[in-house]
Amino acid sequence: MSPLTPSTEERHSRFELRTLLETSRLLIESQDPDFVLNNLLLITMGKLLVPKGMILIHKPGDDAYFVSKSKGRGWLAEDDELKAEFPLSILETSVIYGEQYADVFETIGIDSGSVLFNLKTSNHHLGFLCLGPKGNKQPLTEHEVEFIESLTIISSVAIANSRMFQELRHINRRLDRKVHDLNTLLELSKDFNLMVDQNEIARSFKFAMLGQMLIRTFFFALDVQGEKRIVSISGIKEEPDAKQLDKLFQLDDVNHVDGTEDCPFLEENDIKLVIGLRFQNEKIGLVGVGLRATKEGYGDSEVNFLQSLGNLALLTIQKTLLLEERIEKERLEEELNLAKTIQEGLLPNPVPTIDGFDIEAINVSSRQVGGDYFDLLKLQDEGHLLAIADVTGKGVPASLLMANLQSMLHALAPLNVSLEEASGRINDIIHDNTPADKFITFFWGKISSDKRHFKFVNAGHNPPMLFRKGKSKPELLEEGGVILGAMPTLMPYECSEIDFESGDLLVFFTDGVTEAMNPDQTEEYEEERLIKCINKNREKSSAEIMTAVIDDINKFSDNIQYDDITMIVLKVN
Amino acid sequence: MKNFTIAKRQIDSISVLDISGELDAHTASQLENSLKALIDEKQFKIIVNCSRLEYIASAGLGVFMAYIEDVRGLGGDIKLTNMNDRVYNVFDLLGFPTLYDIHDDEQEAIGGF
Repeated sequence: MSPLTPSTEERHSRFELRTLLETSRLLIESQDPDFVLNNLLLITMGKLLVPKGMILIHKPGDDAYFVSKSKGRGWLAEDDELKAEFPLSILETSVIYGEQYADVFETIGIDSGSVLFNLKTSNHHLGFLCLGPKGNKQPLTEHEVEFIESLTIISSVAIANSRMFQELRHINRRLDRKVHDLNTLLELSKDFNLMVDQNEIARSFKFAMLGQMLIRTFFFALDVQGEKRIVSISGIKEEPDAKQLDKLFQLDDVNHVDGTEDCPFLEENDIKLVIGLRFQNEKIGLVGVGLRATKEGYGDSEVNFLQSLGNLALLTIQKTLLLEERIEKERLEEELNLAKTIQEGLLPNPVPTIDGFDIEAINVSSRQVGGDYFDLLKLQDEGHLLAIADVTGKGVPASLLMANLQSMLHALAPLNVSLEEASGRINDIIHDNTPADKFITFFWGKISSDKRHFKFVNAGHNPPMLFRKGKSKPELLEEGGVILGAMPTLMPYECSEIDFESGDLLVFFTDGVTEAMNPDQTEEYEEERLIKCINKNREKSSAEIMTAVIDDINKFSDNIQYDDITMIVLKVN
Repeated sequence: MKNFTIAKRQIDSISVLDISGELDAHTASQLENSLKALIDEKQFKIIVNCSRLEYIASAGLGVFMAYIEDVRGLGGDIKLTNMNDRVYNVFDLLGFPTLYDIHDDEQEAIGGF
C-alpha cells in the first residue's frame, strides 16, 4: 500500500464528508421543507441500509405530530396524525434509544431497535426522524450516529429557514394585499370626488366590491329621508320588498348571516354578511355581500374594508344629494326673483301724480314676494281709483292671489260698474276660486273727476285714517262689508262718500304697519303710535310723513320686519 | 377623460375584446356595456386580451366577477390573456387566477374552448 493511498477508514470518512457537504448545500438552498425532509429520510435510509423510516413533524399548540414521511411497512402512514406530547427532557435529547425510552417508542408505535433523531434548532423542537433497525440487525455505530446527527442538524436549519422564508412570503403577500386595499380606497375616494351622479357612484362602489372581495352577489340600499330603496345590485334573484328592507335596516351594524334573521331574501340570495352604514349616527346605508369565490369567510379586515369603502360611497352620495338640493334651492330662488320682478311690475311705479294732491306710496315685502297690494289708476272720466289690499299668508301663494286681484281690478276699472257692485263681483270670484282659508282685506275708493269727493268701499281692511285739517284724531273709513273671499256676496257691499277739504290728510296702510313687533315680540306698534307719529309730522309733505312713519316703525321693531308693509299717504292741497 | 378603449374581434365562434389603457371605476362601465352586448347577442365564448391594458383597479376586476358566472352558466367562459406583470399582480393578489382562466397567450385561450 503506497503511503499516498488513503486508508479505508479515511476514504470512508471522506465519502461521508462529501455526502454531508453536498447534502447540506442541497438542503440549505432548497426552500421546500418537503424536499428537505424527503431527502433526509432517503439519504439516511440508503446510507445505513434501513428498510423502515419515518419523519414526524411537531404541530405546536395541538399536542400532536404529523406524519410527514413514512417509508416501509408497519408504521404510521404518511399524513396520519399522532396525538402525543413529550417531556422537555426528551425534546432536548439529540438521539433517543429504545432501551432507555421504551414508553416513547411505544407511543410512536415503532420497534425498540429503532433510533429517534431529534429535529431541532437551538430553540425549537421541529419533530423526529425515526429510523428502524438496520437490515442486518446491527446497531448503529458511533460513527453512523454522528453522521446522521450532523444531517439532522443541517436539515433542521434548512427547514427552519424555509419556514421562516414562507412565513415572510406570507406576510409580504398579506402586506401587498393591504397596500392594494388602501390603494383601492384612496383611488375611489379620488374617483368619487369627480362624480356627481348617484348611480355612477353606486355602480363604481359595486364593481370595486365585486373585484375586491371576488363576489358576484351584492346589494347596496339607501334610506333617503325615510324612503328605503336598493340603489345597486348584482347577482340578486329578486329585490327585497319594503317589509324585508325594513327588516334588513334593523339588523346589527355588522351582521354575519346565520339564518336567525328571518328574512327569506338573505337566504334566497345566499347573502353572507350585511353591514349597516351610518351618517351622523343614523343608519342610512346597507351593504350586503354573498359568498366569496375563494370560499373564504369575512374576517375583521374584510369587514373593516367593507365599512370603509361603504362609508366613502355613502358620504359621496350624501354630498351629491346636498348638491342637488342646493341646485334646486338656487333654481327656486331664481324663480322667486323672477316672480318678484313680475310682482313689482304689478304695482304702480312711479306712483302717479294727481293735480291738487300730494301722494306718496310704499310697499316693502318681508320676503321676496308678498301678498300686499296697492294701486292708483286714472279712470276714463278723469277720476282716479285708489286701492290697498292684504292677502292672508305670505310668500308665493299670497302673491298669486294678489296678482289675481290686480288683474280683476284692472279689468273692472274701465267698465261703468259701481264700486259696491264691483266689490260684490270680486268677492264672489275670489270665494269661488280660492280655498276657504284664503281671504283678502280690501279697501278701494274713487276720487271724483272734480277731485272734491271720495267714494269708498272697505271690505274688512284696516280702516284708513282721515285727518281733517286742524284735528289730531282721525276719522276711520270703515264702511263697506265683509272681507273678500270668506263667503258669497249675500249682502251687497255699501259705498260711502266723503268730501275733501284742503289740508285733509288720508293715510292708507296694511297691518304690517300697526302689527310690527318690538324685538321681544311682546308688543305691537298699533294705531296709537301711528297717529302720534303722523300728528308730529302733520305739516310736512306726504313723502316726509311716510319716511317718518317707516323710520318710527323700524326703530320700534329694531329693523326686524315680519310682515309686508304697504302705505299710501295722500294730502289734499 | 381617461384613456381606455375596447375593440372587438371575432375568431370563428369566439369573441375577442382587445382592451387598452386604464380600467378603473370610471371606465368599468364601458367594459360592462361591451360584455352585456356580447351576452345579449348570445356570444358566450369570450376572450379579453389585455396585452395593451396598462392598469386595472379592483372595480375593473369587479366587472369580470359580475358576469363570469353568468357566462359560465350559459355554457361559455370569459378567459383573460396576455396580461403584463403589474396587471397580473392585481388579479393574483385578489385570488382571481386560482378560480378563473388567465392565459399567457390568446392562442392558448382559444384552444381552451
